[in-house]
Amino acid sequence: MILATFPTLWLTLRQFAAGRATRVVAFFAATPIIFALVYLFNSGGTTANEFLGVVFNEFLAPTIVPLATLILATATLGNELSDRTVLYLVLKPIARWRIIVEKFIGACIVTGVAFIIGIFITWALVAFGPEMPKSAVLPAMIVSALFGVAAYGAVFLFFSLVIPRALLVGVIYILLWESLLARYIPGIRVLSIRHFMQSIFVHWINDPKVTIPQPTQMGSAIIVLVAVVIISLILASIRLRQMNLD
Amino acid sequence: MKNNQRDDHLVTTAAASTPAAPNGEVNAGIATATVEIEHLSKWYGDVVAVSDVSFGIGAGVTGLLGPNGAGKSSILKVLAGLLKPSAGEVRVMGRRMRSDVELFRRIGMVPEQETIYPYLTGREFVRWNASLQRVSDLDSATQRALTTADLGDAADRRIGGYSKGMRQRIKIAAALVHDPDILVLDEPLTGTDPVQRVHLIRLIQNLGNAGKTVFVSSHVLHEVERLADRIIVIVNGKLAAVGDYRAIRDKIDEHARTIRVKSTNDRGLASMLITTPHVASVRIDPDPLSLVVEAEDVRAVYRLLPRVAREHDIRLFEIAALDDSLASVFAYVTQR
Repeated sequence: MILATFPTLWLTLRQFAAGRATRVVAFFAATPIIFALVYLFNSGGTTANEFLGVVFNEFLAPTIVPLATLILATATLGNELSDRTVLYLVLKPIARWRIIVEKFIGACIVTGVAFIIGIFITWALVAFGPEMPKSAVLPAMIVSALFGVAAYGAVFLFFSLVIPRALLVGVIYILLWESLLARYIPGIRVLSIRHFMQSIFVHWINDPKVTIPQPTQMGSAIIVLVAVVIISLILASIRLRQMNLD
Repeated sequence: MKNNQRDDHLVTTAAASTPAAPNGEVNAGIATATVEIEHLSKWYGDVVAVSDVSFGIGAGVTGLLGPNGAGKSSILKVLAGLLKPSAGEVRVMGRRMRSDVELFRRIGMVPEQETIYPYLTGREFVRWNASLQRVSDLDSATQRALTTADLGDAADRRIGGYSKGMRQRIKIAAALVHDPDILVLDEPLTGTDPVQRVHLIRLIQNLGNAGKTVFVSSHVLHEVERLADRIIVIVNGKLAAVGDYRAIRDKIDEHARTIRVKSTNDRGLASMLITTPHVASVRIDPDPLSLVVEAEDVRAVYRLLPRVAREHDIRLFEIAALDDSLASVFAYVTQR
């Protein structure tokens, strides 16, 4: 069914099902579970909401979500460009934008599912603890993470088409820009995807103890992230159309 | 059986450098060109891969012949829209290739590169290609292509475990799955064993006989000889010759300087030949045991040999020009 309707998406899912990159992403997505287990044994007086807020704002949003997404988003077309199997895709009567979109969706599905599972298990373990987190925390974490996966996925997919060592450049970008500069320098904050992910999260759970400096309104944050996705995919499509595939 | 009508003459560098006329000689002896390449140039920085090449090809099998690095793959990649030409234009069925992805419904391409998705089975790969080509009945089209390429039981094994020859065949199956009008094959016989080679040559000839435009590149002269009557010779990125293979072969025979002769009495034949004014030197080649004759006038030697052999009761088994290596062909067609 998927093969007949979305052949590029089917190939992408097959590619990731057989790949080591997916196992690395699954490992990344599962790391909050370790923190939840530690929290179960020793909460240190932190509320469930506060704990999950710290996990999301200090761990998932600035580092884990972008790193995990980077791995699959750069691999989805980057691997095919490096081993030249991309020829089998582009020598077909299929628009370049469609190749890009299906590749993007494939990377987002695999990364997104990994984070949904990881976040749910983390939340479930915390819920077994001294207090139940607010009901809004689980959907807020999942939806915010998925917006992050989509935005980072589109940006890194574009990176993979314009930068030869996109994975390395992406890691430097994440560690230097998203995790360091955009975290501590107010002017740069609004130029990071992380900020808009966190803005969605903190507005959704609406807990004064779980916040970030100068959060953007939820609607604006969603618009910005959707715009990042659309612009990145358009640029990636243009780039793929203009590429010399030697 | 070769399918194409013979072009009585060979078009060499001077004529070949002119633009491809609609029905002109640089169209490799064909009446209507399905693929037209006009003043095509492709360079990478300072390196010129293809220089002002013009030709047209039509139904039947056309060989693109040239040594490694001559620019064959660059021409095929520009033709397939993978590379943007630095200058000139490629038209397929009158349409510009690079700006019209729908043309890929009419084209099947077998790229030279070996890597294919190793995690797919051969059948999955062909089926996936059929799906991308929007073939209506995926299963039957896939099976038909697999049968045509003679994949057999290997179709349900992962491509990662395929031999080089099997990879070539699965690529051909994938290129044929949508029954294209134009088939472009980049070195399709590379890595195939003799049995597979015979099968693929027959398959390519049959496709040409069926009226499809088949464009095959190779750097091996005898491969092209078996595949195609019409050939396009590329040397150093330039068009060296366009025409009928046998016309080139005839020219080689005319201009050959070295001949191998196998007979019942090589030494006796040598002593007779060396006394004639048409022979410059004669030596015995131990492997294979034969006489190698350097001729001053090769046509005269061809006429002389049967007469001398008959007069001295020597049986001739083989007379062959040794200059018909690919290098000699290129040297000949480019020096004219």
